[in-house]
Amino acid sequence: MTAAPTGALPLASSSATPPRSPRGTSGRKRSLTGTLALYVLLGLGTSVMMAPLLWMLLVSLQDEAGAMRATASADITALIPERPHFENYADGLRRLGNGTWAGFIDPLANTVIVTALVTLGTVLSSSLVAFAMARIRFRGRNGLFLLMLATMMLPAQVTIIPLFLLFRSLGWVDTLLPLIVPAFFGSAFFIFLYRQFIVQIPEALFEAGRLDGLSWLGLWWRLVLPLCRPVTAICVVFTFIYTWNDFLGPLVYLHRPEEATLSVALNSFRNQYGGVNRLNLLMAASLATMLPCIILFMAAQRQFIRGLGAGAVKG
Amino acid sequence: MSTLSLTGVSKIYPGGVRAVDRASLEVRDGEFVVLVGPSGCGKSTLLRIVAGLEEASEGELSIDGRPVTHLAARDRDVAMVFQSYALYPFLSVQQNLAFGLMHRRRVRGVMSRLTGAGRTARRSERLEIDRRVREAAEMLGLTPLLDRRPAQLSGGQRQRVALGRALVREPKIFLFDEPLSNLDAKLRHEMRAELRQLHRRLRATMLYVTHDQEEAMSLGDRVVVLRDGVIQQVGAPIDVYREPANRFVAAFVGSPAMNFATGTLERRGDRLHFELGAIVFEADHSRALGIADGAREPAVLGIRAEHLAIVDSATALSARVDTVELLGDRAEVRVESAAGRWTLRVDAARVPREGAETKIALDAGAVHFFRTDAEGARF
Repeated sequence: MTAAPTGALPLASSSATPPRSPRGTSGRKRSLTGTLALYVLLGLGTSVMMAPLLWMLLVSLQDEAGAMRATASADITALIPERPHFENYADGLRRLGNGTWAGFIDPLANTVIVTALVTLGTVLSSSLVAFAMARIRFRGRNGLFLLMLATMMLPAQVTIIPLFLLFRSLGWVDTLLPLIVPAFFGSAFFIFLYRQFIVQIPEALFEAGRLDGLSWLGLWWRLVLPLCRPVTAICVVFTFIYTWNDFLGPLVYLHRPEEATLSVALNSFRNQYGGVNRLNLLMAASLATMLPCIILFMAAQRQFIRGLGAGAVKG
Repeated sequence: MSTLSLTGVSKIYPGGVRAVDRASLEVRDGEFVVLVGPSGCGKSTLLRIVAGLEEASEGELSIDGRPVTHLAARDRDVAMVFQSYALYPFLSVQQNLAFGLMHRRRVRGVMSRLTGAGRTARRSERLEIDRRVREAAEMLGLTPLLDRRPAQLSGGQRQRVALGRALVREPKIFLFDEPLSNLDAKLRHEMRAELRQLHRRLRATMLYVTHDQEEAMSLGDRVVVLRDGVIQQVGAPIDVYREPANRFVAAFVGSPAMNFATGTLERRGDRLHFELGAIVFEADHSRALGIADGAREPAVLGIRAEHLAIVDSATALSARVDTVELLGDRAEVRVESAAGRWTLRVDAARVPREGAETKIALDAGAVHFFRTDAEGARF
């Protein structure tokens, strides 16, 4: 809420609090060197984050020989293609998967199905469980909540084998089910996130809902979900990006090429010796498959900010 | 419309705390009953038990003769206005008003689709909801605000929406949980008058909780005074004011609070003598019917500020004026006397000086005598 006390020594502010400057002016009052330092820092951070992306983009526009040169040479200028080869994108996508034309359609469809259902399942189940944890009083509630939190401490790799055995016994290996179904049983982290948010909603709202005729499920659907929109935005973006890019899960459970998701399909560019054939095409295909995540993140950014504002005036 | 009946209702929390203790109450059809008491007296708990938000630990409740003790809140057909308004922040005023009815319609819609009932019925229901929302909005002056969100409304407007949300439901019983306490003094006064008017217009059964005795007096057909979960007195505001059942009610109801003095009460025939040290007050027997002839008992005398007067009589009680508080046409004068610190209400034109020695007289027809035990019942 308050503007950062720029330039004020903590000692000076302890006795007499200076009048709070209106929002925004503190930024303008910040000294030039301070602003400069901030921008340099942010710029450094951004370039560290962007460098691999830029590298991917440049390599994706090379021809095959150019891509080899670019990776082998220490000369940075070798990265810049002589002529941009945009056809690499069409070519790269065609080589994904085994379809005769536009081979990426199959893995794309699989990825869309898995990601959509996992996201939907995570939002619905996590908010429902969190609502129960936050608002329904029952014996052992706190113990259950702690137990659930404890599952977050367990590295995912530890459970790969037991889970595989479980799903194999169900006959689900080589189907999308092992990737989708667990999402409908909640995710500890998002349950925690939703619960913390729901606890802060005034009890009177739920009481009003009960008097208006809502059951527990009605309260969840008609009150909790609309009120928790900011949390849901976070949940959707994180789950979407994680699931879209997930490599290990599909790799473990899906073995037939026609079942592959995009991240697994990209792996088909690797040759039997662990190297990569046609690096330029791999980079082009990789960038193309990243697009939905980037678009979603940008779209959701607004929702984040609006969500924060809506939370502040709630009540 | 509807009646409400409570029989021996108690709420016992884990640890044995009795928030409500064997409360029995009959609310008549179309009556406006106010539950009043200091904070923590159990009035809100009692209201929430009626609403179905809390379950009674003991006792029975019925609405219109139908037992509802174990019925869920949503099946009781009661509507409640909350202190915090509890409006749905993500819905417009219109949607807030229609929320309860729309929900019920949806539930019925699913049922009728399952049973194959008619489309026209659902449509007419929709029109009926629109009509009720429009009517309530009109009645409360909300029509221009129907598309706004609660966050875009002032406190008074939110309060009206909360009221409207209860109105459109046309419930059997309206419940109010300190609905005016978040408003500023002026607005509170206005809303009080409007509530009173609304009740006259709707003739609905209403149960209202407040800690403000003035609000209780001005709104209720009857008031119920509670203390520590126990009902102290039920009656018309004027009766509670004039004939308080015990010392607690006498002290709680009325502003400024009633003046008290502890002494000895003696009945001689149809006269009462109250001795306070060397001073003796006289009153007739009708002021304390519970005392036997010739009996002498310790008692607390109570008298309201407006029944004390500054006089020019040698036999009256001597007092020294402590402070004077001017309230426009009248003034409240605090005096120090042999009886203790008392408050008088006098005409603003005849206000004594602070620090002056003066004489005060009691209106013998308006004194009350209470027992000195913890309960402090009237003689």
